[in-house]
Amino acid sequence: MSQSSVNWLAVVLSFSAASVLELLVMPQMLLAFRPEWVALTLIYWLLRHPERVGLFSAFVVGLLMDVLSSTYLGVHAISCCIVSYLVLTLHQRLKMFPLIQQSMVIFFIVGVLLMIVMTIRGALSSVDSNLSYLAAAFSSALVWPFVLIITDRLVFALR
Amino acid sequence: MKLGSSDKTIFVQGPYLAYRLILASIVSLLLIFIDVRFSYLDPIRAGISSALAPVYWLSDLPVSISEGFSESFTSRSDLQEKIDLMESRMLVLERKAQKFASVTAELNRVRELLNASRIVDEGVVVTEMIGVSPDSDNQYILLNKGSRDGVYLGQAVLDSHGLMGQVVEINEFSSRVLLISDSRHAVPVQVNRNGVRAIAYGVGALDYLELGNVPDTSDIVVGDLLVSSGLGGRFPEGYPVARVSEIVHHDGRSFAEVKAIPEAKLNRSRLLLLVFKGGRGEISGTTMHSTSRAESGE
Repeated sequence: MSQSSVNWLAVVLSFSAASVLELLVMPQMLLAFRPEWVALTLIYWLLRHPERVGLFSAFVVGLLMDVLSSTYLGVHAISCCIVSYLVLTLHQRLKMFPLIQQSMVIFFIVGVLLMIVMTIRGALSSVDSNLSYLAAAFSSALVWPFVLIITDRLVFALR
Repeated sequence: MKLGSSDKTIFVQGPYLAYRLILASIVSLLLIFIDVRFSYLDPIRAGISSALAPVYWLSDLPVSISEGFSESFTSRSDLQEKIDLMESRMLVLERKAQKFASVTAELNRVRELLNASRIVDEGVVVTEMIGVSPDSDNQYILLNKGSRDGVYLGQAVLDSHGLMGQVVEINEFSSRVLLISDSRHAVPVQVNRNGVRAIAYGVGALDYLELGNVPDTSDIVVGDLLVSSGLGGRFPEGYPVARVSEIVHHDGRSFAEVKAIPEAKLNRSRLLLLVFKGGRGEISGTTMHSTSRAESGE
């Protein structure tokens, strides 16, 4: 029963917290290692409620990310949709994985997301694309267990 | 019943998921196309941005709190020292300003003799940076002044050392500034020493700009101060932009490679100045994207 009811307050709170973390002023050196908080939160909700959170939600979250990072509207939206497709097709296996293995898949998924974003942005303007996005994918994989545990706590607290 | 509900979770969204992905991708690509070409989506962006105002405010909170703490827990002697320092600095600057007034008056008289137009002094408003761009390839900062305070598109932003960038997006309470170091940005500049003109392109690094298409023979040396030339009508004239740090001459190529270090502390300044062009009205009808393209297309 409780599986199919989504705690919308927790959804809003988790995405707000992720957006704040995304915007937080950080030292220049750490900027490349900023985890993709909003994307991780999206993956969390996709894993927890795959029957409710789907491509449309991913699209909306993508638009949010576009505004947050001031890219053209649609750039993050399309990559979020592709990523959510990946997660939704993988979610049966992903749910069973131990945390370490999940983190490795997260590295791959966030890497795909950032690769799509970089490719589209590179095609639209003269942003020189390099492999620096792998750093963000790596840090995202590192913080994934914490995102999972803390958001679970949040959902539990707001139950 | 039980079986049915668990069935539903196994086949999450059925075979239609792939079709939906294709549909969503088409919609996204369409959005990107519209956003690149036209400005219809700007209100949507501004709407989402305004809805995110609490998020922006929260993300700035740690910095403002730590600043508040260090302000309220400074010792009296430290404060006294700071005030003394500032007073002496103000004296020095005031002396400069006295001279500046007479020099400006004299310059205007000379320009009148030459039948040239008078130099209008610009007004400035102090503003505070409330956020930086979340990724390093997109060099933006956010300011705490928006359309309420009369900020307009293309407005120049300075710190106490030089030009920082220009306003490219305005919300009600905040605005977004494209830094001169962004790879899509270019500033028309001139060498302060002799007036040689050039264009300073951002390269995506905070610590240097590149001058484009500088003839090998032009008179630019290391250490030259580059000031905004005011050509192109976007930036006001005469603000320091960068200092030439490196010139490489390539044999067989007609252009020299010139690098310059921005004068403004692009990654440090928190208190900034918005320059209001005196007398001149708003630049209307320009959008964010055509703005950045117009500047880089020069």
